[in-house]
Amino acid sequence: MTVELYTPEFVIGLLVLVVGTIAVAFPRPNDYLTRLINLEIPGWGLLLVMLHYNEALALFTFAAVSVLSTYIFVRVMQKKEGI
Amino acid sequence: MNDIVMAASVILILVGMTAAIFNRDPFDKLISLSVLIAGVFPFIIDRGFLDIAIATALIAPLSTIFILMVCRRVQE
Repeated sequence: MTVELYTPEFVIGLLVLVVGTIAVAFPRPNDYLTRLINLEIPGWGLLLVMLHYNEALALFTFAAVSVLSTYIFVRVMQKKEGI
Repeated sequence: MNDIVMAASVILILVGMTAAIFNRDPFDKLISLSVLIAGVFPFIIDRGFLDIAIATALIAPLSTIFILMVCRRVQE
């Protein structure tokens, strides 16, 4: 299976992935909530890169599991802040 | 894909990403994130993955609901 080079979703996916990762590493108000919301951004970039390689099953699994990990992070934040 | 539709989707993704990074209020960040997600969907549909598009459209707002659970309690 040959994949054509540099489709627009590949280029924009890599851009979103890199910029989102920098935003997760250095969040502006330096707290857990901002970091968790910024963590959603590179996830969608990775989803666009998966789309470029026609990986439908990987796309579906990643979308499902990222929501699950978000729920686990939310529970951890609630436990850590005692609410 | 039509060039105009693709340019609109790319602009949606870039504007959503920039606004989600540079806004400081959590609710503003969540709204900007929804703009980014809206820009991703035309690319999924253009590849022909309609089933994945349906599943992602149903699953993606769940993470917004989970994050809103924390936002409400932090604000109090």
